[in-house]
Amino acid sequence: MPKTANFKEMSQILEFSPGKDHFEKARKKGVTRWIFSHIFFGTNKIFIFSVLITTVVTSILASFISVSIGNAVNQFINANAASLISYTILILILGLTTPILRLLNYFLREVLAQRLERDTRKEFYGILLGKSQSFHDKQQIGDLMARATDDVRMLNFMISPAVSLIFESFTSLVIPVIFILLFYPVQLVIEPLIFTGLFLISLRRYNRKLGPVTGDLRMNFGMINASLNEALSGIEVVKGSTQEAHELDKYLSFAKKYRDAYVRQGRIQAKYMPVLFLGLLITIGLAHTLILFNLGFVTIGQIISYLGLLDLLYFSTFISIFVFATIKLAGSSAKRLLELMNAVTEIDENPKGIHKDILGSIRFENVSFYYPGTTNYVIRNITFEVKPGQTVAIVGTTGSGKTTLTKLISRLYDVTEGEILVDDHDIRDYALKSLRSQISYIEQDVFLFSFSVFENISFGRISSKQKVIEAAKQAQADEFIKRLPEGYDSKIGERGVLLSGGERQRIAIARAFLTDPKILILDDSTSAIDSNTEDKIQYAIKNILHNRTTFLITHRLSQIRWADLIIVLKDGKIEAKGSHQELLRSSEEYRKIFVKKFDLDEQELLEGGVV
Amino acid sequence: MWVGLEAEEYDREFRDRALLKRIFEYFTPYRKYMIIVITLLILSSLSNAFVPLITSISINILAVNPSLVNFIILIGLIFILNILTYVFNYFRYIYAAKAIGNVTLDLRESATKSVLEHDLSFFDKNPVGKIVSRINTDSRDFAQTVDLTVEVASNFIVMIILIILLFIINTILTLAILIMIPIFFLIALIYRRFARKMTLYGQRALATVNAFVKETFTGIQIAKTFRQEPKLYDQFHDVNTQSYKVNLRRALILNAIFPTLSIIQGIVLTIIVYYGGNFLILGTFNAGEFNFFFQSLSFLFFPLLTIASFWPQFQSGLAASERIFSIIDTPPIVVQNDNIIPAKLRGEIEFKNLIFQYDDSKRVFDNFSLKIHPGETIALVGHTGAGKSSIANLIARFYEFQGGDILVDGISIRNYDLKKYREQIGLIPQTPFLWSDTVENNISYGCSSVTCDDVTAALDRTGGSNWVNSLSEGLQTNVGERGALLSMGQRQLVVFARVLLQDPSILILDEATASVDPFTETKIQDAMEKTMEGRTSIVIAHRLWTVRHVNRIIVLDHGRIVEEGSHDDLMKQGGKYAQLYDTYFRHQSLKYIEEMGVPKTV
Repeated sequence: MPKTANFKEMSQILEFSPGKDHFEKARKKGVTRWIFSHIFFGTNKIFIFSVLITTVVTSILASFISVSIGNAVNQFINANAASLISYTILILILGLTTPILRLLNYFLREVLAQRLERDTRKEFYGILLGKSQSFHDKQQIGDLMARATDDVRMLNFMISPAVSLIFESFTSLVIPVIFILLFYPVQLVIEPLIFTGLFLISLRRYNRKLGPVTGDLRMNFGMINASLNEALSGIEVVKGSTQEAHELDKYLSFAKKYRDAYVRQGRIQAKYMPVLFLGLLITIGLAHTLILFNLGFVTIGQIISYLGLLDLLYFSTFISIFVFATIKLAGSSAKRLLELMNAVTEIDENPKGIHKDILGSIRFENVSFYYPGTTNYVIRNITFEVKPGQTVAIVGTTGSGKTTLTKLISRLYDVTEGEILVDDHDIRDYALKSLRSQISYIEQDVFLFSFSVFENISFGRISSKQKVIEAAKQAQADEFIKRLPEGYDSKIGERGVLLSGGERQRIAIARAFLTDPKILILDDSTSAIDSNTEDKIQYAIKNILHNRTTFLITHRLSQIRWADLIIVLKDGKIEAKGSHQELLRSSEEYRKIFVKKFDLDEQELLEGGVV
Repeated sequence: MWVGLEAEEYDREFRDRALLKRIFEYFTPYRKYMIIVITLLILSSLSNAFVPLITSISINILAVNPSLVNFIILIGLIFILNILTYVFNYFRYIYAAKAIGNVTLDLRESATKSVLEHDLSFFDKNPVGKIVSRINTDSRDFAQTVDLTVEVASNFIVMIILIILLFIINTILTLAILIMIPIFFLIALIYRRFARKMTLYGQRALATVNAFVKETFTGIQIAKTFRQEPKLYDQFHDVNTQSYKVNLRRALILNAIFPTLSIIQGIVLTIIVYYGGNFLILGTFNAGEFNFFFQSLSFLFFPLLTIASFWPQFQSGLAASERIFSIIDTPPIVVQNDNIIPAKLRGEIEFKNLIFQYDDSKRVFDNFSLKIHPGETIALVGHTGAGKSSIANLIARFYEFQGGDILVDGISIRNYDLKKYREQIGLIPQTPFLWSDTVENNISYGCSSVTCDDVTAALDRTGGSNWVNSLSEGLQTNVGERGALLSMGQRQLVVFARVLLQDPSILILDEATASVDPFTETKIQDAMEKTMEGRTSIVIAHRLWTVRHVNRIIVLDHGRIVEEGSHDDLMKQGGKYAQLYDTYFRHQSLKYIEEMGVPKTV
């Protein structure tokens, strides 16, 4: 009977924890809280406030320059020669300080942005590292990587430039207005206020219109890439079937859609009104100040400085355009990161369950299974029994359920119906760690870390070189390892040696010799082109079979022929099971294999003469 | 964001002038659009540049002589100039988008058309990803550069007009502003070098982190089995921190350019204040003129920055266009001497003193001769590089031979119309390639008028069409990218059906080496038998069964026929074939399988 899982226990069992997790609570509270918790974390607080302050001060200085110039002009017109030097110095100081302060501002925001990227990546990596194997089995590497790279990067862009540009746009709208209120007749504030209103409205409309078109453009670009990629990948088929013209048309239909979206985008960009609005309002401002001048309320210098202040508003019209898109993207990126970090797996780790040394007898009793979230049974009514030390060959086409069946043995997923028993105990009653530590899985495409051969074989367990070499010899790997440039110390991977599929498999087998599991699952799909390599693989596999219960997912007739039990799967059901002789007698399809391949006489075969 | 300062360098072969001329040719069909764009450009620049001028004049006149008439005229004029600038630019953007969008499309069309016609040696030299990137991404970058060029031209004209006006008003002050220009350029250039280097470091550091993360999660199962999480985490921490440091440095350097240029601007402003102020005091200058200089200075900042960083972006755009042209220009190697349309070929193939090598590597065939009779089944065996695939490639005319001839039905293959000839050749590669389309469309690919029943019939001839019924939508099921949703065996069956439907006179089959389950293997064997029936078949053999059942085995060694005959005869001879058997086929034999029952431990 499966134990009902305790939700609290379940979600907090992490297999690894990288130290104090400062963001745990924030992660559960949603995207905004999480982002803010990072922005205000530790010394980041100082940086964000400094960014704010420097932005404001920079804007004040810039406005101050305008005002000073205005005053200067007044003085100069009145032929006040004494003030020339002082004003020059003032402008020089302001003109140099403003950019320096801006540089400081950029510096501070960059630190914050890079920190955010670094810390969220670390958080993401650490949390995911700690999640259970069951969780990882459901992930697609490509998707995971996209989140770890692009989505994390987006958060960087959110601070720099997006958020900081918003600060800047905001202050460059507000500060000049404040200056106008302070140093000019209040009525002159009307023009910038009207502009701000018009600006925000038209900006919103602009973004709303542009959004879908930009999305179209991006999608169509993806399509022209995908279609051209496919056509060229299959160029032999294209040429063989003389379909060049057809493929060209297919590509062009997408390329034309791209062009149409491009033109549409141009049309929308052409309509961007804020620049016009500002120009007209500055003109109105000019008219306004001239009238006031003639009424004696403002000086000539004030006309010039007022225009200068209004010119400062141009900054926000140019910058704001792509800022909001970036923030939106960052929001969805954060969501994707949190989604993964907050995910909970269904497998109950059962730490209080059975701990014992497994002998290796396995029984499937009417096991059926479909993947969580789907309704199609992948395997159905599977029943069989294996004694300790036996070798089981599992045969069937792709999609027949072979791999799924083996995944159930180590509880990567729990069965939907039926029971799996190891040593007469339901596997759900075992402590998961204890169970898994005695089951080894050698996958189809063996993955090796970019460490040395030695480290990949010993992988943190036994460090005696003697034992490693011994295991490698049994796995028929010692021979080719010795021939590598640095032997057992050669690093594997792109920056080291590249090994063939068969060689990787044998290294994995060597590793299995050291871990000595009681139950071994070997997903063998390597095919050797030459008989020598085939010999080696065969011997390696035969060696590892000793003294353990082995499930061999294989195509090799020699292994099928000599297995203690053969299970033939078709569409998730057992089509046939038994020893080779039993199957020859009971299954026509099985017989057909040998008849056709070796041109054998069916009668002779059945009488047990030939094979 | 960094105004293209970090653009990659590309060694250019074409000279600027020749390249520009070619680019120009692509714009010729859109002459009308371009003329409109240029006209609008000039007009909008004029109206734009005159706004600060009229503003300053207004200040002067209306401060002194504020009549209503003057007021209305001058303010009205500025209004109109603003609106005109907007309208001119509006149409300019639209027509520019039309022209650029269409030129980009034309470039893509030329390039794709050209690529599809290239022979296979082109695809050997150029990976698919690179070609796609050149056709799609480079053309997009090119479009951006043209866009930028138009923008820069507009800025440039505004700048020139303003400078002329400023010059007329006051020479000395104008000179002060002019000093800014070369300094801007110089600083932009210096920064460019730093920017590129830093960007490269930053990218590399980031790539290292990402590679590490990928590796961890790809091998997570092993990591967990051996409880390596702490070790991996520590290593990650180091790489991540390293990337942080490098990228922070990069960001800081890139961010420094605006402030630096602003400092220059600040200095120039000071100069204007000093000298302009002086003139104001002396009375040789008036407020309006002062305002004009003040306004122009801020007017010029962004345009100047754009122009200063324009050159490297322009070069990178030219480089992009050059990459596209290089794809279009590669000449096809396949030689056509005539265009005879073949009737249904009998399938007699003769190699006559053939001389062939791939591009720059050594000769594959030197005076090679072989005659294949119509309907014969031939197995080619030999080590890698013996010439097996070359024979297939040459018959299919994927590559061109250098000497001798290949005759089909007595006529040189160079004399047949290429497309019509290929229609009679069936090719089955080692790895079946399927389109991300329905099963039906995959099978009927290349046959225009074909019904569902024809497709089903073809499948039946491969040994059965029942497996299609177990798919979610039968024949209409989309098989995914490269047929991912089907099993390897199913993919092979689809390809066999495709070829059967095509009904070629000559079949070239490269046997798969990847292992499939024994049941599917049997099915494929069946399908192969049926497909080879009734046509000349050349098989690059990897299966023992195949060599034992063909009409004739040809044993190749370094481009020469060293033995030929049936399997049993050749085994008896005990020569090269027997050696090859021992290396490649022995483990497929019944004897081997029986022997494997004896346990062996080293």
